[in-house]
Formats: sequence, C-alpha cells, structure tokens
Amino acid sequence: MEYKENELKQGIKLHTIQNDKFKTNLIACFLTTKLERESVTKNALISAILRRGTPNMPTQEEISKQMEAMYGASFDCGLDKTGDNQVLKFYIEVVNDRYLPNQNKDMLKIAIEKLIEIVGNPYVENESFKSEYVEQEKNNMRQRIEARKDNKATYAIDRCVEEMYPNQAFGLYKFGYIEDLEKIDGKNLYEHYKKLMQSCKIDLFVSGNLNEEIKTIVEENENIKKLQGREPHYVIPKIEKKEKKEEENIVIEEMEVAQGKLIIGLDVDIDQEELKYDTLIYNSILGGTANSKMFQNVREKAHLAYVANSSYLRHKNNIFIHCGIEIGNYEKALALIKKQIEDMRQGDFTDEEIENSKKGTIATIKTIDDEQDTQISYYFGQELVQTKVSLEEYKEKIEQIEKADIVHIANKVKVNTIYFLRDERKGE
Amino acid sequence: MQVIENLKVKEKLYIEKLENGLTVMMIPKPGVQKKYMIWGTHYGSNDSRFVVPGEEKETEVPKGVAHFLEHKLFEQEDGSNSLDVLTALGVNANAYTTNDHTAYLFECTDNFYEAMDELMDYVQHPYFTDENVEKEKGIIGQEIKMYDDYPDWRVYLNAMEAMYHNHPIKIDITGTVETIEKIDKEILYKCYQTFYHPSNMAIVICGDFEPQRILEEVKKRLVEKKEKGQIKRIYQEEPETIVKEKIEQQLEVSQPLYAIGIKDRIGKEKIEDKSTMVKKHLAIEILLNLLLGRSSNLYKRLYKEGTIYAQPSLDYEFGETYAHILITGQSMNPEKVYEEFKKEVEEVKQNGINQEDFERIKKMIYGGYIKEYNDVRDIARMFLADYFKGIYSFDYLEEIESIHVEYLNQVLKDVFKREKMVLSTVKN
Repeated sequence: MEYKENELKQGIKLHTIQNDKFKTNLIACFLTTKLERESVTKNALISAILRRGTPNMPTQEEISKQMEAMYGASFDCGLDKTGDNQVLKFYIEVVNDRYLPNQNKDMLKIAIEKLIEIVGNPYVENESFKSEYVEQEKNNMRQRIEARKDNKATYAIDRCVEEMYPNQAFGLYKFGYIEDLEKIDGKNLYEHYKKLMQSCKIDLFVSGNLNEEIKTIVEENENIKKLQGREPHYVIPKIEKKEKKEEENIVIEEMEVAQGKLIIGLDVDIDQEELKYDTLIYNSILGGTANSKMFQNVREKAHLAYVANSSYLRHKNNIFIHCGIEIGNYEKALALIKKQIEDMRQGDFTDEEIENSKKGTIATIKTIDDEQDTQISYYFGQELVQTKVSLEEYKEKIEQIEKADIVHIANKVKVNTIYFLRDERKGE
Repeated sequence: MQVIENLKVKEKLYIEKLENGLTVMMIPKPGVQKKYMIWGTHYGSNDSRFVVPGEEKETEVPKGVAHFLEHKLFEQEDGSNSLDVLTALGVNANAYTTNDHTAYLFECTDNFYEAMDELMDYVQHPYFTDENVEKEKGIIGQEIKMYDDYPDWRVYLNAMEAMYHNHPIKIDITGTVETIEKIDKEILYKCYQTFYHPSNMAIVICGDFEPQRILEEVKKRLVEKKEKGQIKRIYQEEPETIVKEKIEQQLEVSQPLYAIGIKDRIGKEKIEDKSTMVKKHLAIEILLNLLLGRSSNLYKRLYKEGTIYAQPSLDYEFGETYAHILITGQSMNPEKVYEEFKKEVEEVKQNGINQEDFERIKKMIYGGYIKEYNDVRDIARMFLADYFKGIYSFDYLEEIESIHVEYLNQVLKDVFKREKMVLSTVKN
C-alpha cells in the first residue's frame, strides 16, 4: 500500500492510494464546506442535482447507461456531517481492467474523467440548472427529509444531537430543511453551485491498482484546469471546551413505536488531541464491543435490551449510548446505564478489559487497508484535521494506553442529554 | 482436495469433503490482513417440521428455534460465553440465521487459530439449561420488537404472507413472542442433534493462508460424531397460486413502502439442475434491470413524474422449496408503481428485448459479480449461502456468457406472470 498526496492548487488535493489486492478501483471526490444554516439545504440539493447530468451525458439515464456499459461502474453520492462541515461525496467504483473480458479498456481513466465531469461540469441551460430537474430534486429532498422519522434508531440519535447543539452548526440536519426548498430555483441554485466550487475544499481520491499516470490525467483534465486555487471555506475540527451544565437535559418524544429508543449523549471534556486515543478505548470498554459494560450488564445480565452499545464521535468529543428497551423499563435502564458510567469513573474495570479493547481496536486499525472506502475515509479524516498519523503510529498510540489514562477520561465524561423516544401516552 | 480455479476473477476455491461428511471450502487471499471463518449448518427458520434420522414419526417444533439456537450456542458449561471469549481475542465474532441456514463466524487479523479453537469448540458443544433458555426469551423478545418497528421488514413479511399459503418462508425468522415462549432446552437439544451434524454443515475460510494447513487445523478440532442418515424435511404442500394480490399494513411512515412480489416455482420436486438454477437467477437479474433498472424507460418515467425518487431494490430469492422475485422501495403511490410495472412487463413480452440494452445490462451484472470478490467477508458468506443451494459461487461468472435474448424472453414469459404478482404496502 502506498499513499501519496499532491496539492494541485491551493485547497484542491489529489490523493492516490496504490494497492493491487482489490478487484476494483475506487475514485472519490469530496467537497467540504462549512455547515451553515443559510446554505445547508442548497448544498444538499447540489449533491442531488449533480447526478442529473452533464453536457456530454445530459440525462440521468445517459449517466446510468454509460456506467452500465463500463461493466457496472457504480456511481454514488453521499452527504455527511463531519465536525462543523458538510461534505458532499461522489464516488465511482469500477472493475479493474485485469478482470474484464478484453484487457486495456482504460476503465480507470474514463471513470476518473466521468466523475470529475459530473462534479465539475453539470448540465446547465442559460446560466441555470434545468428547472425541471431542480423541481424534481426539491420534491425528492422534501420526501427524504420527511423520511427521517422512518428509521427510529437513527432518528433518535439525530434528535439527541440536535438537542445537544441547539442553534449551532453541528445541530443542523445534513439534508437541510423543508421551509428552505420553496425559495430555491435553477438560477439561484446554480449561482450557489458556482460559489461553492470556488470556495470549498476539494479532495480527489483514487484508490486501486494504479498503473497509469493518475496525476497527469487529473492535471490535464479541462474541468480541473478551470478551477482556481482558493482559501477553502471549511472548519478544521478542533477541541472545544465543553460548556458547564448544571443539569442534564431530559427530552422525551412520543411517536408510534413498539420499542423505546433511549439515547444518552455524553460530553467528553478534554483539551488535547492526543487524549482522543484514550477516549476511544474508554468508549470501547463502556459500550464498543460485546465485552463492554453496556452489552454485558444491560443486555446479557439484566436482559433489558437487544441493542445496547455506545459510539464515539471524535470530531465533537461526544459519546452516544444507544439502547432499544421495553418502554416501561425506562427508569430501570437509565439507572443501570448511569451506573456503568459511574463504575468507569471509579476505575471499576479490569486490566483484561483494557487489553481486550486494545486488541479489538488494533485489529480494526489493521483492517483499514483491506477496504478501499475505509482507507479513503481514514486519509480524508486526517486531511481534515491536518495531522498525519500512519497506521503504525496509530497502533502504537493505542498500545501505550494505561488504566490511569482511561480513568482520567472517565472523569471528564458528563451526561449532557437524555433522549427517549417512546409510544404515545393516551389520556395522561 | 479439489481445486476450482476461475480465470475471470482470478481466484481459486479449494474444496474437500471430509469423511464425517463436513464440507470445507477455502479461498486464499494473499496480501489481505483480514481472515474470515464461517461455519454454517443447513438449518434455518424454514425447518420446523422434520423426521429425525432413525425415527419414524415427524417432529414439529415451535417457530423460531433455529434462531433461538443461534443465540444460545455461545453459552458454555463453565459459565463463559464464547462471544466474550472471541471478542477478548480481538476478533469480531457474530452469528446469523436465515430461512435456510444458520452460521457462526469470526473475522480477525491476529489470533486466528485461537479463534478457530473457540468457534469450533462452541459450535460442537451446546450447553442449555432451563435458566439460560428462559433468560434469552427477554433478549429475543426485544429483538422481535425492534423488527416490529422496521417498516421495511414488515413490508417484506407481508409480501411473503400474500404469496405463500403454507410455506414457512412467510414466518418471521425469529418466531414470535408467543412461539419462543414454548421453546425449552429439550427442544433445543433435539434440533441441535438433528441439524448440527457434520454431514449437514459446511465451513468456509477466506484470507491469506495455505489451504492444506488450514484443512489439517480444521480436522484436528473436529469432535467425532456417529454417522447419521438423511434428515427428512417436511413442508405442507404449497399451491402454485398466490394467497391474495394485495396486502396492506399501517405504520407511521413518511412515505408508503411497497414490495412487489412474483411467486415462482414451489415444491421440492421442481428443483432444477444447478446450471439451470444459476442461469435462471442471472436471467431474472438482467430482466429486472431491463424493466426497472436505473437506465430503464419505466424508471425514467416514474422518476420524472415523482412517483419514485430512488431505484427500488430488485431481488430474486430462492431455496429448495420456494422462489420469488421481490421489488422493494418507497413511493407516494405504490399502486401506480405496481400497475405501471405490470404494463411494462406485458409490453416487453409483446415487443421483445432490445439487444443493445441486453448486452449493456449483462456487462453490468458481470462487473457486479467481480466486485463481490473484494472482501473476505463477502466472499465467505457468498460461498456458504450458495453452497447450501447446491451452487458454487464461481458458477455465476461461468454461466453469464451463455445467456441470450431468446432465453431471457422465455424466462420473462414463464416467470413474470400477472396472476403470480402481489403488492404489499405499509402506509400511514
């Protein structure tokens, strides 16, 4: 595996990851911009409208046809919230020529060019996105935002995040807001797109068996050439001081559900980047694995839940505990979960638990190289925080963690919000 | 040991049937960090009526036993839990149950043989007590409730309900709160003794290793078991007709979910030979993409008018005694999707399939199968699931060449029949 980066222009980077163990090549283009209330919906809509076509492939159908003919190259988009940034993600995955019936089809080169074309040269009429497309995508986006409630588990987590970050960038919903959609039309959306392309951070990743001169292909691409260097408009994730809260915020929301979803949002009030590694292990012991306190005590011993775990959001230093419980067991489950947090503070965990968590975490680090999208996410994460840590160094940092480090973190952890999604109480 | 090489995807399958009847399949992946081992038994939620080898009378057990067994097998006589032991080794362990098989697995980077010790030990040594069986009912009860909140699971099960009169495919893999209540340790032991015999099982291992050595390691860990006769599985006769064309359920969803089902062949006596089965599967995949794939006319039309806003998933599911097509997605107007789909089918039947579209979709499907070979997990699971259907996964890459438009037209006529179609919806 060999990772290289090239700054093409200020704010625009090409990252190549050479690896010959995959059947596919993966190309990704990420547009990173500051998450803001004024632009969140427009940006979300841009990620949708760009799928609709380019001057050479003016319809969605035409894009699909070309992808199909390239032995099922898959074109995909995503939208992420990373720290206080909104990231528009575009991917093409294409089979490596070696595994195609007739060799030398230049599939990789074609795929790179297609992806850049889709992102950088959309189909436009009179300085405006085609209004038919914009109206359809607005409608789709509306449905998508409404569909947010369909997956109760992710909805509950999103809602907990919103409660923890009211009126702040991170509390925004990544797909935006229905009330914004009305004011958007082909013209102002295209204006916004041009601004975005001039100001956002652009990262292009190419991963796979790269026997071609990727750098030349990209540098000579017309759509890349026309881009200007920029001081990218995005937020480098930094550690923020957590607000001192006197009381936990308790939010109970009612909906038609068979099972209650209990989410507890924790603040981890640390002041150094390095402490994030300790927090990772803290989270692993608390709720990261099947050996964790959550799984063992809430699920296996008390039989209160099937899902009982926690996850660490490193850019914002929050841990979220998730549990699916019988609605009547709310108080019981909450008390038991709080006991787990307290036990962590008291250092009530064994060296074995620490070792196991470290082993599990290191195994995960080792497999980063086995998946192309994971690899890309790893390097992109580093690109955003502007620190380079090799997989080797990452492993070493985990290995060095001791019990005292974890207890230290445990004492920096505080419950911020308790969110409970339950059924509708009738006549109470 | 038999070696099957596939020159298209450039992978090799090593396969050996041991004296005790166990099949071991190995797919080496040089240069990959992850190793994956999965041990499956040809026993799933469909198998609740059977004749134990050596007995004469039929045994009928409550629905949900296969899945219950999967949960309970981790428990050991010394009070330990194998899931904990495996997690402590830093490996990622899990298990799952489907309609026709149950599988136990782990994925690791280090401690492969230690993990193999544990996996092979717990799968071969069940330990059920009244107490540990009772306890599991609470956890599985929450798992069942979690699925009750998944509209996509509901819409799927209802489609089965509409298609099948008697076949157990229509029953939830987990069983229901009522059926699992009837499960006790005697039932679990009986099913274990019947179905967890090496002759009914297969192991797949994928990763960077030497096949002969792995095979020896597997053999060393096998417990001797007496030879056993064939298990007779009993299914109530299933009529060829559907139960009802339409089925609806109310749940709180932002937009209705739909599943269009087409019932295909039924009954054991109708199993086609392996090559026909694979060809038919491929043909149906191609047909579904021609009819409703991203580049299809119908998709374009429905997208344009806002009836659908994402590509539905297109699947063909089959086992020894059932087979059906499923098209699932979300739409404000499922009826319309259903009606338009039926119309489209008739039109294509009339006008025949466009050769150019066919060639393109065929390429896409080919590429899709190549992509399955990136990840050890996907590979191992695919080989196991296909094996229990009597297929080697490589067959798909071999057979696709031989598919022609005439064959497609034939399958379209034979399978896509109006009177075999159902529509399941979940809406507010």
